Amino acid sequence: MKTLVVGLGNPILGDDGVGWRVAEEVRRQLISILTPALKGAGHTVDVECLSLGGLGLMEHLIGYQRAILVDSFKVDDDPGSILILKLSDLPNYSAYHTASAHDTSLQNAIELGRTMGADLPEDVEIVGISTRRVYDFSEELSQPVADAVPFAARIVTDLIEQVIKRAEEYQRQE
Amino acid sequence: MTQRITIDPVTRLEGHGKIEIFLDDAGNVANSYFQIPELRGFERFVVGRPIEEMPLLTNRICGVCPEAHHMAASKAADAVYKVDPPRAAKMLRELLYSAFYCTDHTTHFYALGGPDFVMGPDAPVAERNILGVIHKVGLEIGGKVIQMRKYGHTVVEMLGGRKVHPCSSIPGGMTKGITEEQRKEIEEMGHWAVDFAQFSLELFNEIVLGNQAYVDLILGDVYTHHTYYMGLVDENNKVNFYDGKVRVVDPNGAEFIKYEPKEYMNHIAEHVEPWTYLKFPYLKNIGWKGFVDGIDSGVYMATPLSRLNASDGMATPLAQEEYDRFYKTLGGKPVHQRLATHWARLIELLYAAERWLELVTDSEITSPNVHTKPTEIPTEGIGIVEAPRGTLTHHYWTDERGIVTRANLIVGTTNNYAPIQMSTKKAAESLIKNGVVNEGLLNMVEMAFRAYDPCFGCATHSLPGQMPLEITIRDADGNPVEVLKQFC
Repeated sequence: MKTLVVGLGNPILGDDGVGWRVAEEVRRQLISILTPALKGAGHTVDVECLSLGGLGLMEHLIGYQRAILVDSFKVDDDPGSILILKLSDLPNYSAYHTASAHDTSLQNAIELGRTMGADLPEDVEIVGISTRRVYDFSEELSQPVADAVPFAARIVTDLIEQVIKRAEEYQRQE
Repeated sequence: MTQRITIDPVTRLEGHGKIEIFLDDAGNVANSYFQIPELRGFERFVVGRPIEEMPLLTNRICGVCPEAHHMAASKAADAVYKVDPPRAAKMLRELLYSAFYCTDHTTHFYALGGPDFVMGPDAPVAERNILGVIHKVGLEIGGKVIQMRKYGHTVVEMLGGRKVHPCSSIPGGMTKGITEEQRKEIEEMGHWAVDFAQFSLELFNEIVLGNQAYVDLILGDVYTHHTYYMGLVDENNKVNFYDGKVRVVDPNGAEFIKYEPKEYMNHIAEHVEPWTYLKFPYLKNIGWKGFVDGIDSGVYMATPLSRLNASDGMATPLAQEEYDRFYKTLGGKPVHQRLATHWARLIELLYAAERWLELVTDSEITSPNVHTKPTEIPTEGIGIVEAPRGTLTHHYWTDERGIVTRANLIVGTTNNYAPIQMSTKKAAESLIKNGVVNEGLLNMVEMAFRAYDPCFGCATHSLPGQMPLEITIRDADGNPVEVLKQFC
């Protein structure tokens, strides 16, 4: 089981960089999640930080069975609020990086990739953090968004653990 | 009664990338405002950082064209240190850039601009995307698009050190060269890219030029403006993406000015409007006359179509043939019809692929001499490249230690802000008559700005690919009387 965690965003654009911060935190915690036994059983988790959407993002997901995207969101919730959803739920929300003005949406890109026979994750989960300041260049997150980073990272690591557990149960049943 | 119509991307970026149309008492378009979001404070953000960091940092301004910022910043940093990179380094940069162009232009044509034509401008929006294209034209197209992107990414990674956000171009040249083995691999991919570009032009020929309704749409008045055109040219006035002088031709196609990048401030000024943060660049020596075209208006355009108009041709043989056919078909130079930009983009795709092959087969490309050590005291420098969506200028001032004290950037889309404004207004004018809003408004307005391939945020910010739009028509009291929606 190969899982990819992608932090999406622009690390020099204030709160827009929150996806990267969460992904970096997840990367630090991976060692405690992926025990040697799990690795021996073929579970791998890769973590990437990207500033992509659409086709470019889809191309990074090829070869993974599961993907978790962490992205900044623009919703009416208070900054720092965390949303957990599936990619298929997206039209109801507005993820910043899962779509692109310069190519196609991630959903379309994944459908295209599958049509072309690419091995793409069945499930794409999204952890979104509601943001405030995303138009001013800065390497700093605003306080409520920065405060959300450890919680969002915990959600991502929980999702990874759940996925691994599910996979193991499935294998046992087989 | 004044009506107010708002065209707004509804799923993201509230209040940005928004079009507001105001109608007069007779119900015709009085004015239209296209607001593009502007990211603030970049000039302030870079102050206090070393100049050699700029090619890496400015990469991050844009998630769509980091390679363009990487190159413009590197060239500006060369100029800051007054250092001339070795020939092999310049070729490697241009090779990387050509591969990037192939990827970017391919994506735009197949995923964005092309579907309007392949599927037809009246096709439901759910079909006007790359999936619609492959369903209509065949599965193999999707595979080819993915293959082209893969090859482009591979070359960028080999030369640039990273697949996204290259990091190998530094003041004075490149951090590394390529081996003969890598050269061969890049050459092989280059041959494939040339074939793919030719295939794309044939497809355009068959589907678009073979359909009189599309040709009429391209040649129609709705998307026509007689402006000045800008583009980088080499010593023979042929299109070049990486280097050369900036050439501007007037609406009749005559050369208005040709200048060195370092002289840009003598020729370009920026107009400010109260309703947007973004500035409108114009030709200083003509002057700002408002959102109007013609030889007396300083409005210019910088896009694939502009580059073709501003040049005397393409520097590679196959692209030159297409260039000749382009002007022959569309009635001579310059071409003012904005929708022809899609065709121009494909001619540039072919040029980029041919140039890729030309550079990778140069006997000096594997030279280990890829860096000239900067020895001068840094001061000030300007770097200009052609980004896929327009002329990109980076200008830095530093102290004697090379620490940036001031920066000025004019990005691709900014050049075209005034023409985009004019095109969206004209599209609205043609479809709103006496208070009656034609349902084709959304599509036509979308097509108007899509030709320019605008970078709304010039950052990793992104609007949904199929640009969901909403038009709200309000009466004088602000009550919505009609809502037109279009979702992806």
